Amino acid sequence: MRQPEDLDARLRAMVGRPVGGRGVAVAPDPVNQPMIRHWAAAFEDWNPVYTDPDAAARSRFGAIVAPPLMLQTWTMATPKISGIAERGGSPVETEGPTALAALDEAGYVGTLATNSEFEIVRYLRLGEVVSATSTWESFTEEKQTRLGPGRFVTWVTTYTDEAGEVVGRQRFRILKFKPEGAPA
Amino acid sequence: MSAPVRRTPAWGDVAEGDELPDMAVDVTATVIVAGAIASRDFMPVHHDRDYANSQGAPDIFMNILSDTAYCSRFLTDWAGPDAVVRRLAIRLGVPMFPGAPLVYSGSVTGHEVRDGEGIVEVTFRAVNDLGEHLSGTAELGFPLPG
Repeated sequence: MRQPEDLDARLRAMVGRPVGGRGVAVAPDPVNQPMIRHWAAAFEDWNPVYTDPDAAARSRFGAIVAPPLMLQTWTMATPKISGIAERGGSPVETEGPTALAALDEAGYVGTLATNSEFEIVRYLRLGEVVSATSTWESFTEEKQTRLGPGRFVTWVTTYTDEAGEVVGRQRFRILKFKPEGAPA
Repeated sequence: MSAPVRRTPAWGDVAEGDELPDMAVDVTATVIVAGAIASRDFMPVHHDRDYANSQGAPDIFMNILSDTAYCSRFLTDWAGPDAVVRRLAIRLGVPMFPGAPLVYSGSVTGHEVRDGEGIVEVTFRAVNDLGEHLSGTAELGFPLPG
């Protein structure tokens, strides 16, 4: 295991750098009605502008719009289900060394989301393809938490449409922790 | 508790101090798994109890994308289809495990006209059997009259 000073230096060097490979995730599918209906059913959110074309036509939007808080969902990676637990819960293969891999390697294998802040610039319509560009914003030093010693990791994401116009922004914070009472 | 509105309240009828109708979600394992998968979050802590146990959690727990989804439903069930969510910020507290109700409550804490739109700030929280699961603030855009 690496020394903490080494980890701190590695993390500091990543601030402002892209998350993941190039830091850009393009939605695997355009904004579409089946995924919206699946989402609306899961959360029992029957706001008619998401699923009822007639009601949407009469609304300020004039047509179906995606639920604004689906913004993060469009660019979530298509998961590789096989081996998901063996990869420490990562639903995708990680591309090369990342800040989260560095933290895993240092024993902070637990992951818990703690904050999410969205600015919705505009609602998305069917057929639009969203991209998400994320950069690391900050890493804290180790803190004692309810779950064990951990570090808070924050990144910011800018969501854009096909023309490159910003449709929303998000700040997301997770805790990477050393689980207590769990096998090391 | 009330049914979601099908009309957005008139801007003139919204005032600081107004309380939103509470929203209760009876959270089961099905609710947690359905939300995780619909939001495309396949982290095993949100669908595999054995895996959650290995992370020190007693059970699977709700993912944050489900939390923000329920927040937006809570807000627009009150604000109606012609209101837009402009901003939403939440902070998580105690986890949400299966087998308890999650109750959202909130009130209007700000009210102003900005960029040709009526902006309503709502401050809210969601509470379960363990305590405060989340707290947050949001801004909703309402059409102005005329």
